[in-house]
Amino acid sequence: MLPFLIRSLEAAMIFTFAGLGELVDQRSGILNVGLEGIMLFGATLGFIAAKTTGNYFIGFMVGLGIGAALGLLHGFFSISLGVDQVVSGMGIWIFGFGMTTYIGNPYTGPLGLDKLPTILGVSPFFYLAVIMVVLVWFVLSKTGLGLQIRSVGERPSVAQVSGISVTRIRYMSVIFGGMMSGFAGAVYALYYNPVWNYNFLMGWGFISLALVFFSMWNPYILFGGAVLFGLLWQLALNPQMFFPGLASRYIWRMVPFIMTILVLVLISSKWFRSRWGATKPEALGQPYHKE
Amino acid sequence: MTLGGYEFRLQRRATLPGWKAALFSILAVLFGLALFSIIFLQAGQNPVEIYKQIFSYAFLNSYGVRLTISRFIFLALASYAFIIPAQAGLWNIGMPGQLYLGALASFGVVYLMGGKTGEMTASQPVIILLMLTAAMLAAGLFGAIAGFLKGKWGVNEIVVTMMLNFIAFYFVAFMIKDGGPFMNLGGRGESFELPEAARAPMTGGFPITLWIVFILMVMLQVLFSRMGLGYQIRAFGKSPAAARYAGIKPFMIAVLVFSLGGAIAGLSGYHYFAAVPGVYKIARTYGYFGDLAFYGVICGLISLGNPVATLPVALLFGGLSIGGRYAQGKLHLGFGVDYALMGVLMISLVAFQFFYNYQILITKKEKKLDVAISD
Amino acid sequence: MFRTKKKNGDIELHGDIWKHIQPGEVVLDAQGITKRYPGGVLANDHIDFKIKAGEIHAILGENGAGKTTLMSILFGLLQPDEGEIYVRGLKVRFRSPEDAIKMGIGMVHQHRKLVPAHTVLENILLGHPKSRGVLKLKEVEDEVMALAERYGFEIDPRARVWQLTEGEKQVAEIVKALYRGAKILILDEPTSALTPLETDRLLESIETMTQDALGVVPFITHKLPVVLSISEKVTILRKGRVVDRLNTAETTEQILAQRMVGRPVIFNLQKQPIEPGEPVIQVEELSAKNNKGVMALNKVSFTVREGEILGVAGVAGNGQHELAETLFGLREAKGGRILFRGQDITQASVLDRWKLGMGYTPSERTEVGSIPDFSLVENVTMNYYFDNRYNHRGFLDYGGLRKLTEQVIDEFDVATPGPDVPIRTLSGGNLQKVILGRVLSRHPKLVIANLPAQGLDVGATEFVQRKLLEARSQKAAVILISEDLDEVLSLSDWIAPMYEGEIVDMIPAEKAQKDTIGAMIAGLHQERGS
Repeated sequence: MLPFLIRSLEAAMIFTFAGLGELVDQRSGILNVGLEGIMLFGATLGFIAAKTTGNYFIGFMVGLGIGAALGLLHGFFSISLGVDQVVSGMGIWIFGFGMTTYIGNPYTGPLGLDKLPTILGVSPFFYLAVIMVVLVWFVLSKTGLGLQIRSVGERPSVAQVSGISVTRIRYMSVIFGGMMSGFAGAVYALYYNPVWNYNFLMGWGFISLALVFFSMWNPYILFGGAVLFGLLWQLALNPQMFFPGLASRYIWRMVPFIMTILVLVLISSKWFRSRWGATKPEALGQPYHKE
Repeated sequence: MTLGGYEFRLQRRATLPGWKAALFSILAVLFGLALFSIIFLQAGQNPVEIYKQIFSYAFLNSYGVRLTISRFIFLALASYAFIIPAQAGLWNIGMPGQLYLGALASFGVVYLMGGKTGEMTASQPVIILLMLTAAMLAAGLFGAIAGFLKGKWGVNEIVVTMMLNFIAFYFVAFMIKDGGPFMNLGGRGESFELPEAARAPMTGGFPITLWIVFILMVMLQVLFSRMGLGYQIRAFGKSPAAARYAGIKPFMIAVLVFSLGGAIAGLSGYHYFAAVPGVYKIARTYGYFGDLAFYGVICGLISLGNPVATLPVALLFGGLSIGGRYAQGKLHLGFGVDYALMGVLMISLVAFQFFYNYQILITKKEKKLDVAISD
Repeated sequence: MFRTKKKNGDIELHGDIWKHIQPGEVVLDAQGITKRYPGGVLANDHIDFKIKAGEIHAILGENGAGKTTLMSILFGLLQPDEGEIYVRGLKVRFRSPEDAIKMGIGMVHQHRKLVPAHTVLENILLGHPKSRGVLKLKEVEDEVMALAERYGFEIDPRARVWQLTEGEKQVAEIVKALYRGAKILILDEPTSALTPLETDRLLESIETMTQDALGVVPFITHKLPVVLSISEKVTILRKGRVVDRLNTAETTEQILAQRMVGRPVIFNLQKQPIEPGEPVIQVEELSAKNNKGVMALNKVSFTVREGEILGVAGVAGNGQHELAETLFGLREAKGGRILFRGQDITQASVLDRWKLGMGYTPSERTEVGSIPDFSLVENVTMNYYFDNRYNHRGFLDYGGLRKLTEQVIDEFDVATPGPDVPIRTLSGGNLQKVILGRVLSRHPKLVIANLPAQGLDVGATEFVQRKLLEARSQKAAVILISEDLDEVLSLSDWIAPMYEGEIVDMIPAEKAQKDTIGAMIAGLHQERGS
């Protein structure tokens, strides 16, 4: 039972990293539906870097770096070039999906490094994720920078006439979002599932995206959702723990994806929306042109 | 921005003539191919030489051409599956799942008619028609899930269709592996082979699905340029709020476009698993065909949702991916060249989106002025 | 893109420049401001303009006279092609609003520049030097309250902006500008969204500001009487040029209007007497919620007959918008019913309402009323794709629709290169003409016109109003929703002042008095008469 819980929390930490980045991104008004692509890149390049150098640290740095670069690319497309944010995000996803399949293929197989140490049986990254949740919440709701990010996401024209550079804040946010996604990918490939295989992320980027919608753009709810999804995922992978001998393993594999859809339906319902009273950033997904 | 006495300014385009849009699309593809050369260079090969080989294999070699046409059919159908919801402003990236369902349903028809174990008694046209209908129905219904959820509660269709892809992927595995009902009698982890009577007939050396592509092209062109329904779909895609004001029903549009898109994706599944000579089964590597369907996203975007323009793009991409696979084997490149190509073409296309929306005005500066505000 | 900023230097400068300011001293001096737009339009043609400390100096002009451009230049949103700006004799160059703000210029926008989801305090803090690092909300709140008290503003700093009335939002913007240290306050159409009472209060506050040696520059298009009451001096713009500078004490409304438009203006529209016919729409105790889920329309009842215009007057946000949307089926009715020519249509779809002969021109012309990327023909199609005359068994008759569009262009005097250009290339007035023309071309039995003339220039306004009167002459029933009391009074047969989701009274035009109605829409008239 305990390994099951630990595994769930470790899945949750990956959702949390990616989700937090996307949350900040969306708070600034930029939707990045391509975080699966960024995570794939972070996972693959991080994996290759660590495997070839034998150094975990380098692997994580590469994950952060490629994440930042792809975040910047998304920013360049959607902020500077005015490309539709969904088109740009989908582009980054397909780019990541296609390229990592090619780049990573020669490295198919296990990482072959000693497993990273744990604290009280749980990965230190889990504690880092918790700290990040509190930090992101604090910055967004209690500081001037957070106020700027939120304003840019709600009404960029207002931010601009108040003397704030919409472009600068949005670039900062997408780069942060990219770094977090790239890092989440690296943690996945270097800790959670250190065996490279083509498209081995299994849609976790899309699930993280769904979690951001679920979170009502609140880091704490995001974290709660991440833990919930972590549990669901483990349950689906280990059905014999609870429902021994029931149904084919392939049917169980479908469960987390079905649950994701059900959760999405629940949170999209009017009933849920009005209960939480939260609304999405008003300018989300809209390019901003100076007046 | 100023450079060497000239002022560069971005200006939003008021209109984009069709020939210019086509030109940008061609440039985007060329740019993507140029970018892709890096991969060949990195593998120590001369890109010009490789592109020559890719194109001559894909479009001149008689064996290669047949593969190209077959893939063209598949990509055209996958693109149409993307385009119809895209015209309504909705993103269907569920083609893989929809095509799996289409394939399963057409195999289901054969299974129910006893084709897995023995000979089938019904005549070939009846069987084929039933298989096609089943593929479209099942995939259309599967696609409609995303449309229904979007129309009813506004659930994000990108995440839903992606999740449905995984669900369908494992559902196929359940059906054809580990003793699933469609499993091969020999116990291999793939489906049973279609009996002779259930294989799509060939006309003029090509599977009948080729004609389906052309019929669909005409139908979609008429739908979008002439019909009231097509107008409603386009209006909704441009401005949902304005469409609602004009009396267009969002729920109806969402369900409709996803059902239609899904049904066409189902046909593409039928094509690859039941109409291509030498296959006629759901292979162990069925996931590869699902992934290929994402080329449909690029085709659809690059042809700006125009059903006629889609076909040359699908032909080109079909040839490139076939030729890429060939080059990969011949030159001992790493696995996944066609995946990488897909990624590079996509990112190049995104970069070129800019030109659809903006033009760069270059004026010679006469005197020192402040930087003009770009819009 | 990533412009580096000198941080401390500017702030020190800001502190110095406003020391020892004397009333009557020239604080802002704009000389020869010229701005050309691509295509050669001269939006500002050598405009000179001075403002003194403690002075209220109005700028008057029609839409298109170059007011917005001048305002944007003074606030750093645009850079002039030629000309100089001096603040207290110091030559300045504003590259962004941030620069202008630092030089003591504050702006209160007509289209409020506030974040609706944030509190008033957060809005005031946004962009303020005090918002660096961790927010010190309590400290700022005390300072803001002291400032508001000085100028007689009532303000709840913890309220969310979306909960405020238009008047309260304007107060929040003024306080924000003052808290940022504005010494020159630019007000864009300051009274357009205010009730008469709120207007009086604002004038008192502005009076206090001038005593503190602030320069106040209101920019005004429509409400000429306000110009006279609010300012000492007025500069009139026409076609990008200064055509006159007057002392308000020595002028009249008629003179101002004439100078502004460049020809004599007739203020009264010709309204034919018409005998009202059968009831077209009967509304019984209709209720609806707004987007925030709060009841915004509360048991409203009225009847409009053939050949009648019902003018729904009110300040924005008192349920008029919800009324229009609910009548047209774009918003769910939470109670009551709607009878259209005797038929209960409360649950009917929008499409059914079009087919039955209702027509609606929304106030959100680019978001709802039109599809910007579509051509004029395709925009006209919005009201005809379902019509048997143009939809033959599912196929659209684009040839016929094109002819129809040309008719609309002709009849409504739309300035456009042709029917095939995207409608987003049209100006606001021409866009509204297409929308109205398209709706009226269906000869609807009922027209709901939501803010039909808002933001239009004098010419287009007159045109739109005349077309509504024409529809009335042709026995259509018209529901006119307007925030402009003069418009309501001059067009309507019946006037329904709205306040907080209720119709306060139904007043026949001949008994209507502007001050009574003004009090009603401000919530001062408690008892319901008949």
